[in-house]
Amino acid sequence: MSAAAQIGDLSFFHPGASLPALDHVSLMVPAGESTALLGPSGAGKTTLLALLDGRLRGWRGRVSVLGAPLDPDHPPARASRPDVGFIFQEFALVERSSVLRNVLNGRLGRMSPLRAVVGSPAPRDLEAARAAIADCGIADLAERRVDSLSGGQRQRVAIARCLAQEPRLILADEPVSNLDPARAVEILTLLTGAAHARGATVLFSSHQPDLARRFADRIVGMRDGRIAFDVAAGDLSDVATADLYRETEALPGIGLRAMT
Amino acid sequence: MRSRGFGGFAAGALVAGAVLWSFATTDVELSRLLSAGPRIADFVGRMVPPDPTVMNEIVKGSAETLRIAILGSLGAVLLSVPLGILASETMVSPPIYRPVRTLLAFIRAIPLILVAMLMVGAVGLGPLPGIIAIAFHATGMLAKFYAEAIDGVTRAPIAALESAGAGPLARLRYAIWPQMAPVVARDTIFRFELNLRESLILGIVGAGGIGFYIQTYVRSFQYDKAASVTLAVIGLVVAIEAINITLQRRFC
Repeated sequence: MSAAAQIGDLSFFHPGASLPALDHVSLMVPAGESTALLGPSGAGKTTLLALLDGRLRGWRGRVSVLGAPLDPDHPPARASRPDVGFIFQEFALVERSSVLRNVLNGRLGRMSPLRAVVGSPAPRDLEAARAAIADCGIADLAERRVDSLSGGQRQRVAIARCLAQEPRLILADEPVSNLDPARAVEILTLLTGAAHARGATVLFSSHQPDLARRFADRIVGMRDGRIAFDVAAGDLSDVATADLYRETEALPGIGLRAMT
Repeated sequence: MRSRGFGGFAAGALVAGAVLWSFATTDVELSRLLSAGPRIADFVGRMVPPDPTVMNEIVKGSAETLRIAILGSLGAVLLSVPLGILASETMVSPPIYRPVRTLLAFIRAIPLILVAMLMVGAVGLGPLPGIIAIAFHATGMLAKFYAEAIDGVTRAPIAALESAGAGPLARLRYAIWPQMAPVVARDTIFRFELNLRESLILGIVGAGGIGFYIQTYVRSFQYDKAASVTLAVIGLVVAIEAINITLQRRFC
């Protein structure tokens, strides 16, 4: 089985923090599958995803993404960044731009630098954006401005932007934590389905065990910056899940090392 | 509290001292104050009725004032774009934006009329010193506004575009600019309105525009003509205010 991401003995402290956000983490993310990072707030899920996206500096350990090692001191080469797509918890859309423009923004890394700044999108880019918009079921919203959309619609735009980027690895940070249960199932069905159809690997974080069980092939439990378990979705036991969410022994709030 | 009582006494003594000093050292003659009434009546009498024959001068002067405001604003925008970027925390580091911000505060502190007088001395009479003065003076405020517009942008979409592999210029165009454009438009219109208002009086120091005629007529004791031009200036200020209110309704 080949790996979409390979992590060995990875540790990371947020600037100024005394406790590690990631504490000797080793993990293999299998290619072509869907993996869930399960755990309470402050477990290190967002930090791990941001690190795999090449956005964190100063970590220790060995990390390779899509076969290429990451450098702890330098951002990844820009040419390699479109291969890794990221879906942000708060959507990170340009509110005053249209849905189509936001989705085309996902293509910027695939365009020539000149076209990305001054040109109009090539037919190839428009085609990819339109296809992603259609796959996310928001074709009728393409010309609408994002600030006029609901939370569920915005999440679809964020997924469409990521799909238009044509990534081989999709990292999704709490993609459904802002949505009601029915909407959450819709969005995860859409995300894992579209990724599977494109042969892309998905790694998403969640704090809801039932969603992880339903939409992931593998489930990785995280707590206090460490890997608690790494099992096939069918093997997730209620005991292991309960242990993941037990009351923290340390001071209340100390586990909330949320990454911003 | 004792200290507070003393502070109150000290403040009172300071104010009383300042008033007494001003009275004692300034030539405030009661007789002149008493004769002021008739003098003012005479002055106003000579302004009435305003002389309507200066309509040509009013139109010419207003057009020149408008040109000064437009070109001065253009100059301010051109100066404020680079200075605004250099004064922004988002775009540059503290060793750059701190001195640039100090420079802008310094520019804002110099009154426009003083800049205009210096420019008249430097380049001679006419609209040119007015344009330069407006451009210089307005940059102090506009560059600060532009910097704040850049710094007020939400960071998350910029990070998202960077994650997708977009370069810095593409991020500027598609993540930063769409967010700051309405703020920049609003601030620029606001500053243009101030420029128009302030350029009305620039002519008094010889820097062109409608104010030039007020100065000319007052100095040559043609108070009825000066009155017409003054009324025109008041009318223009009211018109600018009305346009501004309409624009604000549209933008906000």
